[in-house]
Amino acid sequence: MTEILEYDVVVIGGGIAGMQSSLDLADMGFRILLVEKEASIGGHMFKLSKTFPTMDCASCISTPKMAAVSHHPNITVWTYSEVEEVVKNGEGDFRLKIIRKPRFVDESKCTGCEQCEDACPVIVPNEYNFGLIGRKAAYIPFETAVPKVAVIDMDNCILCGACERVCPANAINFFQEPEAVNVKAGAVILATGYKLFPAELKKEYHFGEYPNVITSMQAERLLSPTRPFNSLLRPRDGKEPMNIAYILCVGSRDRTIGNPLCSQICCMYSIKQAQLIMGTLPLADVTIYYMDIRAFGKGYEEFYQQTRAMGVNFVRGRVAKIEETENGDLVLHYTDVENGCIPKTQVHDLVVLSVGIWPNSDIAKIFSNEKLELDNYGWIKRVEEYESPNITSIPGVFTAGCVTGPKDIPDSIVDATSAAAECADYLSRFRRKLIEISKKEMR
Amino acid sequence: MAERIGVYVCHCGGNISDVVDVKKVVEAVKDEPSVLIAKDFIFMCSDTGQNMIQDDIKNLHLDGVVVASCSPKLHETTFRNCVMRAGLNPYLYYHANIREDCSWAHSDNPELATIKAINHVKAAIAYVRNAKPLERIKVTTTLSVLVIGAGIAGMKAALSLSSMGISVYLVEKEPFVGGRVAQLGEIYSYGKSGVDIVRKLVDEIKRRDNIAVYTNAEVKELSGYIGNFEVKVDIKPRYFRGRCKDIDNIINRLQTDIPDEFNYELIGRTPVILPPYQDAYPGIPQLDIDNCDERCREIMGECDKIDLNMRNETVTLKVGAIVVATGFDPYQPRIGEYGYGEYQNVVTLPQLVRMVEINRSDKLIHNGKEIKNIVFIYCVGSRQMKTGKEKVNEYCSRYCCNATINASLSLLKRFPDLKLYHIFRDMRTYGKNEIYYEELGRKDAIFFRFSEDKPPIVSEKDGKLVVTVYDHIINESVDVLADLIVLVVGMIPRRNDNLNKILKLPLGKDGFYQEVHPKLRPVETSINGVLIAGTCQGPKDIIETFSSASAAAGKAAAIVGKGYIELEPFLAYVDPDRCDMCGICFDECKYGAIEIKEYEGKGKKAWVNKALCKGCGLCVSVCPSEAIQLSGLETKQLREMIKVMAG
Repeated sequence: MTEILEYDVVVIGGGIAGMQSSLDLADMGFRILLVEKEASIGGHMFKLSKTFPTMDCASCISTPKMAAVSHHPNITVWTYSEVEEVVKNGEGDFRLKIIRKPRFVDESKCTGCEQCEDACPVIVPNEYNFGLIGRKAAYIPFETAVPKVAVIDMDNCILCGACERVCPANAINFFQEPEAVNVKAGAVILATGYKLFPAELKKEYHFGEYPNVITSMQAERLLSPTRPFNSLLRPRDGKEPMNIAYILCVGSRDRTIGNPLCSQICCMYSIKQAQLIMGTLPLADVTIYYMDIRAFGKGYEEFYQQTRAMGVNFVRGRVAKIEETENGDLVLHYTDVENGCIPKTQVHDLVVLSVGIWPNSDIAKIFSNEKLELDNYGWIKRVEEYESPNITSIPGVFTAGCVTGPKDIPDSIVDATSAAAECADYLSRFRRKLIEISKKEMR
Repeated sequence: MAERIGVYVCHCGGNISDVVDVKKVVEAVKDEPSVLIAKDFIFMCSDTGQNMIQDDIKNLHLDGVVVASCSPKLHETTFRNCVMRAGLNPYLYYHANIREDCSWAHSDNPELATIKAINHVKAAIAYVRNAKPLERIKVTTTLSVLVIGAGIAGMKAALSLSSMGISVYLVEKEPFVGGRVAQLGEIYSYGKSGVDIVRKLVDEIKRRDNIAVYTNAEVKELSGYIGNFEVKVDIKPRYFRGRCKDIDNIINRLQTDIPDEFNYELIGRTPVILPPYQDAYPGIPQLDIDNCDERCREIMGECDKIDLNMRNETVTLKVGAIVVATGFDPYQPRIGEYGYGEYQNVVTLPQLVRMVEINRSDKLIHNGKEIKNIVFIYCVGSRQMKTGKEKVNEYCSRYCCNATINASLSLLKRFPDLKLYHIFRDMRTYGKNEIYYEELGRKDAIFFRFSEDKPPIVSEKDGKLVVTVYDHIINESVDVLADLIVLVVGMIPRRNDNLNKILKLPLGKDGFYQEVHPKLRPVETSINGVLIAGTCQGPKDIIETFSSASAAAGKAAAIVGKGYIELEPFLAYVDPDRCDMCGICFDECKYGAIEIKEYEGKGKKAWVNKALCKGCGLCVSVCPSEAIQLSGLETKQLREMIKVMAG
């Protein structure tokens, strides 16, 4: 019999929502296990540049939360770990099987000195920078990673042993195996976020084929304080673009690729990126091709109007297709809806596809004896939407952030705190019941 | 006296370092007296940055730390906790703001911004050099919360707190709970009505023995501080002790022309305000005494449950935290705005909703005539462009596009032959709401888009309302005949001037309550212990309102739930050797915190009662002998800081 670890709540997903729920519950005195499948917590938010509409940097909000989570006495963080199975034994009694994937680096010994990274001869595309630059097979995910511990990507490792030879802490261990750990918890919070729409599915925009067509996440990295280059450069020739196009609703509001929903965040992040470009490349023109500008949140409309006043060009119309010229420029074919619905073309030297967000539906599969219901579009269903938005079809399993549908950062954070409150409510109700039962038994 | 100070200058990922030369700052302060080490880093607040500081404290035995980064409002607590974890007293720390004060304020002049940053950091070093370790003050908290407003946000917050074992006082200004949602009809995307949502919450509240509901009640006074507030609540008389047997007979004889607020004044009501919907809580009528004349009082005398001698009552509540959930008002169009107030058949969306609710016919009737087509004009009172000095609502009200699409689908379900025209600017059916926009589009509804410079014009031709709208697709103006014009009005903050004065909550540019930070503390306000839930913070739909209410409840529970909180130790104290009992400070202290105490061997001198002191510092500024000092900001520290700043 292996040992069973016990926590009040297991939070699955260490993005901004999962971190927020964990911190709120931990502050209320609950013991939390936060499970993250990547090598560092942080999710999507810390990859962003600045955030609308206040324009404070994403790192200034997310990295201290990452630190707070890792230092909180009531929170245990397991990175590079995946929940394989959740069995509900009864109210307040969940049994989880969690796989701790091998890092091939002893977490307790590694000091994050990065010498293995320098020594490693293998270079592969860096996921954190969406392939814009490379990383080593032995690597630390990024400078502010939590934990700041190296990991060896065994899919690409050539087993040369260079890292092992230079590691001053003797932390490299090629013989690590996946470890299955059994955990018991009173409740579960799902905060596994979203997937980005794979832009290559929108064939008429030729993402992956025309180098100067990039996604908004790549643009986000290029504009970020932790950017890979010191400017916004177009990939094909490293030139600074002078005439940039944003195409909105890529992977959203589009039944041809199977997603009729609006992704709720793309209008605003595109407008924000346009403002950032005007700061980075003051002479560049920015045109945003849109269907409706959905600047609906607090301070968003004002931000949109400010961006228009700064000179960003807004064109209402969907882009039908993109063609590439010999020098890598791109010809956009679109209909100008505002001005008589006439088909037009326009040349740009960089095109950013404002990709939407899609559900991470796989999460439903981990529940083996209960059914986690999804909505028609693959997001986790809010079964009591007009009463308690964080409740799922399984009592004791709650949702935080984008697992139930697209949300921007402020909405995700409020939703995560709300999930924590609902979860605390569930746990305390359940605890009270336990007390009542034991009293009865005493009589 | 700190003699081994570490100085850490943050780049804030370019927010600082793009303007301020951080290397130069480090260079300029590294040889200051008592400075042992000075470093810079891209994100000092990240785990890596914090670990660096902690390692230095441990390895170099630092006895003081300065971080030069963003505003202390953002990360002062972050770094106090960081140094504390490394074993250093958190008050041997100073947070120099070189972002808001330097790089952001002077982005046009990097050179001077750098000099200013250097001065800020040097002053911070002077502070820490003269800092003393302090202990946080622990105070016990009251295990109860006041919720202001019993709409869905207030009721949800109350229920959530109640479940966590916290007593709740739920205070509602109106005679009945339910707020704006009780006025809604069917919510198409939900399949049920607003009243259903309210009823469910009310039923649950009735079952709880730790929620006290006060209707007709308003907060009149507030004192105390986080953890221990004292609130005086005024309760206006209801004049009914129950429902009299023969109430219908009584009502039938009363005047019926008082505008009915619940139905947005579409119809009249009597001075007896009956529970406005089935199962409304409490189920007791309210007498509108201001509108009850001599004759009315006489008739009321027949009721066995009436008591015209009821008087205002005041209750005093002790609570640890306050959740404000005062909601919104619909925007009230100006007379003449799209024909509002000029033509009878120009109404607002909330009025249309009530019109449908009170309509008993299988046709939609307004002013005695059947309505066959409706023109909706969007963004009325929202997204207004600033032209002159007049205050306008520049914000988007978030819920109205979705509400109109929902209302249209409900209307078509009940009156399938209605013809609907939508004149909108941007259709903001964000997220999953898009599905309903799509559904309505398939139902033959007609959409025209207008831009702010060419708004639609409402006029009357041959006794018929006409909306003239410029259509971008055909590049022409189009006249649409309308039986009814519905102005899709936005949300404005609910008028609560008295409450605002009492709570002193900051308002944003849009007039809604301002949260501390939209991402760090979205339901907290700058008044510690006062939280905001629902639409009083900004426009929201029902689901978002529930999330925000639960979130506020969670934060309130975290404040009161532990039984104690820790407060900053910045309070006044007296050095009895210097005090010459002049008595000026006694008069200056607004909180009565300064008393006389016998000091052993020193006689009677001034003494500060820490439980009452707020740390305002007024006493410090009037003390002629500098005997009274504020912990954490002593005169000596201030003087040293100014000296350095002045060069």
